[in-house]
Amino acid sequence: MSTYLSHIIGKDHLIMSAERTLFWENESALIVADLHVGKTGHFRKAGIGVPQQVYKDDLHRLLSQILFFKAQRLIIVGDLTHSVANKEMDLFRRWRKDFPSLDVHLVKGNHDILAEKWYGEADIHVSAEQFTLNNFLFVHDIMTKGIKAGKGQYIFAGHVHPGVSIRGRGRQSLSFPCFYFTKKHCVLPAFSRFTGTYRVEAKEGENVYAIIENEVVPL
Amino acid sequence: MLRETKGYKVVSEWLAQKGFHPFLFQEQTWQHILNNESGLVNAPTGCGKTFSVFLGAVIKFINDNPGGYLNKKTARHGLQLLWITPLRALAKDIGRAMEEVIDELGIGWKVGIRNGDTSIAERQKQKLQMPEVLIITPESLHLLLAQKGYETVFSSMQIIAVDEWHELIGSKRGVQVELAVSRIAGSRLSIGSRQSAVLSQQSSVNINGRPEELFQHQATDSPLTTHDSRLATDSPLTTHDSPLTTHHSPLTIHDSRLTTHQSSLSIWGISATIGNLDEAKEVLMSPLQIPGVIVKANMDKRIEIESIFPDEIEKYPWAGHLGIKLAHKLIPIIEQSRTTLIFINTRGMSETWYQTLLNICPDLAGSIALHHGSVDMELRTWVEENLHTGKLKAVVCTASLDLGVDFRPVESVIQVGSPKGVARFLQRAGRSGHSPDAVSKIYFLPTHSLELAEAAALKKAISEKVIESRQPMLLCYDVLIQYLNTLAISDGFLPEQVFAEIRKTYCYKHLSGDEWEQLLHFITAGGKALQQYDDYKKTEIEDGIYKIKSRRLALRHRLHIGTIVSEAMMKVRFISGGYVGVIEEYFISRLQSGDVFTLAGRNLEFVMIKEMTAYVRKSNSKKSIVPSWQGGRMPLSANLGKILRETLNSVSAELSPDSYRDVSKNSIPSGSILTTHNSPLTEELQVLQPLFELQERLSHVPKKNELLIEQIETKDGFHLFVYPFEGRLVHEAMAAILAYRISRIRPITFSFAMNDYGFELLSDQPVPVDDTNVYELFSPENLLSDIQRSVNSTEMARRKFRDVAVIGGLIFQGMPGEKKKARHLQASASLLFNVFSEYEPGNLLLRQSYQEVFDQQMEEVRLRDMLERIQQSKIILTFPERLTPFCFPVKVDSMREDISSERLEDRVKRMQMELE
Repeated sequence: MSTYLSHIIGKDHLIMSAERTLFWENESALIVADLHVGKTGHFRKAGIGVPQQVYKDDLHRLLSQILFFKAQRLIIVGDLTHSVANKEMDLFRRWRKDFPSLDVHLVKGNHDILAEKWYGEADIHVSAEQFTLNNFLFVHDIMTKGIKAGKGQYIFAGHVHPGVSIRGRGRQSLSFPCFYFTKKHCVLPAFSRFTGTYRVEAKEGENVYAIIENEVVPL
Repeated sequence: MLRETKGYKVVSEWLAQKGFHPFLFQEQTWQHILNNESGLVNAPTGCGKTFSVFLGAVIKFINDNPGGYLNKKTARHGLQLLWITPLRALAKDIGRAMEEVIDELGIGWKVGIRNGDTSIAERQKQKLQMPEVLIITPESLHLLLAQKGYETVFSSMQIIAVDEWHELIGSKRGVQVELAVSRIAGSRLSIGSRQSAVLSQQSSVNINGRPEELFQHQATDSPLTTHDSRLATDSPLTTHDSPLTTHHSPLTIHDSRLTTHQSSLSIWGISATIGNLDEAKEVLMSPLQIPGVIVKANMDKRIEIESIFPDEIEKYPWAGHLGIKLAHKLIPIIEQSRTTLIFINTRGMSETWYQTLLNICPDLAGSIALHHGSVDMELRTWVEENLHTGKLKAVVCTASLDLGVDFRPVESVIQVGSPKGVARFLQRAGRSGHSPDAVSKIYFLPTHSLELAEAAALKKAISEKVIESRQPMLLCYDVLIQYLNTLAISDGFLPEQVFAEIRKTYCYKHLSGDEWEQLLHFITAGGKALQQYDDYKKTEIEDGIYKIKSRRLALRHRLHIGTIVSEAMMKVRFISGGYVGVIEEYFISRLQSGDVFTLAGRNLEFVMIKEMTAYVRKSNSKKSIVPSWQGGRMPLSANLGKILRETLNSVSAELSPDSYRDVSKNSIPSGSILTTHNSPLTEELQVLQPLFELQERLSHVPKKNELLIEQIETKDGFHLFVYPFEGRLVHEAMAAILAYRISRIRPITFSFAMNDYGFELLSDQPVPVDDTNVYELFSPENLLSDIQRSVNSTEMARRKFRDVAVIGGLIFQGMPGEKKKARHLQASASLLFNVFSEYEPGNLLLRQSYQEVFDQQMEEVRLRDMLERIQQSKIILTFPERLTPFCFPVKVDSMREDISSERLEDRVKRMQMELE
């Protein structure tokens, strides 16, 4: 058990982090899903006083991960932002400016509803449905119709915010975000800590790694 | 004096015509009302408690308008009497009764009803012309406070009546009543006080926290008429175009300085008997800062309690099967009575009982009905109407019929299983024999034989008049946040003024200045934020007045008022269309598609959940899961527990060592020595003799100053049974604490089980409890820190947080026509709980969730009282060679969790055979 754990697919070396990121060593790319930037702001605008600190903390964690892995590239598999524009997204853009050499690539998710202009100004490359790099295919929702991996291609996705339940004593059970690897694809945990989880159950030949506190735990 | 007034003459003549004569307590209430006093009427149902207050208001009105009280179509008196009732269903019947009086007396009053069922057109009409009597629920009253210009509605009002106050007082809806009364009382002065508050704001004078001075000042030296005219131009919130005539009418000037300022407003609670009647009165009077009087109807309702005995007493009782076996004994009772109400503790069991009675006596089809909180509203109304008309022979019901108007045809009441408290039992008994001099007849049907001891305890409690208290809730931040936002969407509020008002309420009298600032900060700034990157918007401050200006936010809040929920409920619909009822989300979430469950007497197959609705289809399956509902988790009251210990004490005293030895030589059931006529024990306890004798022989029957602990070794492991008789919640917490404390002696793990009488710790190794350490293990010292270390209070608080967050406005439940956008505002209570716990641990709503866990889930006060009691008592440790009658039901309950019900029955039978 540790904060980082590696997972190898063919020749590609991946490192899972308890900060809910996946680092692809071969391409020096940090892969994340479901950042939901502006979610706290969206709630707050509607009069629901969720602490904004959770968002600030998300940005800070992302920064630390980029610096830690010395990532050249950031691949976001959808839901970079949560809803319509708000002031929190301005903070993200300011944050983005601090990494001019970082290549940011977004595969649009269902929540990414901002105008094209916004992405351009934020210096983010946008793919509508999918984005391919070497043997990897990046999409938002693995269930989207028409997505088909080429021969030997492995898919990375987000969207479902996967989580696993671990049963404790009595009838208690706790649920933790997780990385979910099947033979053909990987579903990443939602990066933002202001997200819930959807329970997944691993089948034969699949791997689930739970994020429990500061550790990535294979189950 | 009352009798000389015109109003009294009019009313008593009318009563005499109908052949009625007022009761003493009614006349007393009328006199107090004429004196502009406030108070609490304590009367059982069916004794004309409604008329005590209502006719008082009528008499006062006639006296105040001797020339003009008679019917004039054009008469507009404004609202005179506000009648707050906890139940929507009650409104219609009470309204009907009042209208009858008004029509026959010919006074120019109208009666209006305002609740969730009131149409928009009707509301508009009420806005233009308020009826003289308005019957309203606490939620709808808050909605009224959310209307612009609401203060004028209350300006002419004379009396606020709060019906069934004993039901409201222990709940958040009771807090809503307290808040509304504080505002209404405040609004009667608000013209003056608002102005002075504005002035003091401008001159930065802090009037914080000294409300009495503020009002005294108002009352004594302000010529209100001049204020009036000034305000019409000055106030930013001008809503008053009419001077508050009644308020300073010379008639209402009183000698007491304290009451002068609001003398024309009186408040009357109506309550059944509860243990803390004085406190109940104090809570209600608190916003007006007056002592108030209590008027008691000294009409002791005669109650006859009859237990239904099984033909044979099982010496190894267990909950859950005996009741149904005795069902056939109910048929003659049902047949002999005009109408019978059968109270079942849980909705799940009521479904089972309904089916069982129909199976036993198919002739009942069509004249027996089912009534519980999850049955469709329309069907429930139908049942209630047919109860009135006497068309139903029997109704199987839950607490859903505890309250409400009298159903005159009801002649018998049957309580199945422990009623858990004396007050509830009395209330249910009172549903039969309605005329004041009739006897209320209630039958008690035990669901396991030991419950017969409870029947004996109930008889004792009733003869000694020991009735439970209902503790008022304190410092509910969630309700206060909702209330502040409510005021913010109507006319806005001045914090100094509202703080002064709420500090007068019982619920918030200890609200600190810091907490108040935190609450204001929460509604205006949304707690901690990233200044320039924040879009928070809710309550805004304009000229010192707190307002919600966004129409969208206001509309959302309005939809939100009234969501004081007890449990997350989900609608159940047929997939083909058609509404079945509601069910707890907790239950539904455990079902798999294809599972069959019972609701409203029907077997339903679960299909799917979509948008907070569970879709089902009809099922012909014979097997079904019966849902578990909140009601089943109600613990035995502290009060009944105490009486039960005293009851056992009398049994123990009778079981002198000599006598039980004699008996144990004989075969036990036949020659029980105590079933003689001169036994001091009640019938129930005599019937239970064989069980008690076995208990005494194997272990001990505890006296009232004893705590019994049994240590038994079976093939399952080492059991420790403890019997405090304090209800399952306290036992649950105590089991965890005890396990933690024992594990400090030696590392050991336990599993727990509990019922209302005791709890069990089970381990695979011997439990190191003996007379050297047992008092220490039950010490009240370090209780709080031990609770925190042993009980998973975080998980409990997480569950409580759901309700708190809904009421406090953190969970947005969506509104019509906004579905899509609202989706981006969905977050589960659990997620919010995590986020707040991590990033804003001091949040008041979070704190409240933990407090509610301590107060309600663990009953911390009761837990502490129990430990202190145990320190004073003698702890009896026994080592029975096999399971005892006392521990058997606990043991069976612990097996229930992982075994299906049929297999459980088989296993219990085998166990009973091995033991007997």
